[in-house]
Amino acid sequence: MASFPSDEWLKLYRDLINGSQEYREASQDWEGDIAFVMEAEPDRGVPDDLVAWLDLWHGECRGARMITADEGERAAYGIRAPYSRWREVLEGRLEPVKAMVQGKLKLRGDLAEIVRHVRAAKELVNLTTRVPTDFLDAA
Amino acid sequence: MRAVVYRGVGQVEVGDVADPQIEEPGDAIVRVSLTAICGSDLHLFHGKAPLEPGDTIGHEAIGVVERVGPGVTRFAAGDRVVVSFTVADGTCWFCRHGQSQLCEDYRYFGYGLFGGSLGGAQAELLRVPIADVNLLAVPEGLEDERALFVGDALTTGVYAAGLAEIQPGDTVAVVGAGPVGFFCAQAARLDAETVLAIDLDAARLAVAERDGSVPIDASARNAQTAVFERTGGRGADVVIEAVGTPAAFERSLDVVRRGGTVVVMGVYTSETIQAQIGVWWIRALQLRFAGTTPIHAWWDRTMAEVVAGRLDPTPIVSHRLSLEEAPKGYELFDTRQATKVLLKP
Repeated sequence: MASFPSDEWLKLYRDLINGSQEYREASQDWEGDIAFVMEAEPDRGVPDDLVAWLDLWHGECRGARMITADEGERAAYGIRAPYSRWREVLEGRLEPVKAMVQGKLKLRGDLAEIVRHVRAAKELVNLTTRVPTDFLDAA
Repeated sequence: MRAVVYRGVGQVEVGDVADPQIEEPGDAIVRVSLTAICGSDLHLFHGKAPLEPGDTIGHEAIGVVERVGPGVTRFAAGDRVVVSFTVADGTCWFCRHGQSQLCEDYRYFGYGLFGGSLGGAQAELLRVPIADVNLLAVPEGLEDERALFVGDALTTGVYAAGLAEIQPGDTVAVVGAGPVGFFCAQAARLDAETVLAIDLDAARLAVAERDGSVPIDASARNAQTAVFERTGGRGADVVIEAVGTPAAFERSLDVVRRGGTVVVMGVYTSETIQAQIGVWWIRALQLRFAGTTPIHAWWDRTMAEVVAGRLDPTPIVSHRLSLEEAPKGYELFDTRQATKVLLKP
């Protein structure tokens, strides 16, 4: 089990991404790193904002690690939400592209490009469910 | 007369200045019985607007008419009045259409040259131009403390709630529980089922809670999560942003439901944000930028609610000082040791 988010969790996730034929095919023309900002929820065991980073490039995940908020600002895309929202995504209870359009996940970057890659996004979410995960929040 | 005088960034003192005189036929001279320090005075205090050393300051005042110019028809010496913080001409298209904050010839008290070189209200006497438009009679028996804010912050709250067009059953979230947020929340409660007050400051939240709002301490809870939990996962029907920072604006968009209304009351100048206009469009958000408050279009309603006891601004008042203690009042308010400071000349 790996704690979400953590470098250990992201390493397992990166390996799954790079082993996915479906993701590779769906994201052949994708260029751009993404910072996933998990906003603090102090009453749920998440005292500070956390930022996970994926460097996604033409069907491959070239890097995955925890980064600082400032580093996150430099990523091509940023997606922000309270920690518990991300848990909903990882547990398959919230479809992320729809959530971005509804404002439940806040996107910084080109929404149209994300929508165009909805199949890749779906596979990225599917892959998270295969990472043995410990969540920080008590809910 | 004695008046609060700006001396430089972070410095005010009480000094002797010349008594104001009738300069135009429509002028009235008001002997101020109570004034207050407003959050926007702190912008001036910090040098964010161009005051010159020696300028007088302040824009909230209630008092008694001392004398009037020959053009004044609605008021006479001895009348108790509250003063509008903005001076409007009352005749232009905007004034005639309830938008006196957009008046062709607007002026502000206590804003130096930028505001039209009117005196400040934190003084013993105040010259009020176009008095027939910019004064409101105070009903007999209504205390100064309850009527003072009809000329500024309390009516700002009523205006915000009016812009929001709150429906019965609505949940309203007010981002910011300072004085303006407090007044917005109180006015919103006249129509809303539930008002959520969001702030980081425990003292301000305690005041809001005692007044009937549901506090959300954003230092202890994620505000978005908290609001969604209270609204069946939808978000607030109406959000009133009463801070005036990009972070507060963004937070307001986070907590409003799809199809909901965000009223932006916080004061902005040169701030910028990156906006996903497409997401706002898909979410069918109703964004209402309030600008400053068209006091003249809303203060009769506010006064009526105060008289009826449905609005009561006094819980937000934490300090009652003499005019001579104004520098201490500024320090207390600036360091958030005070929620609202009254000054009695």
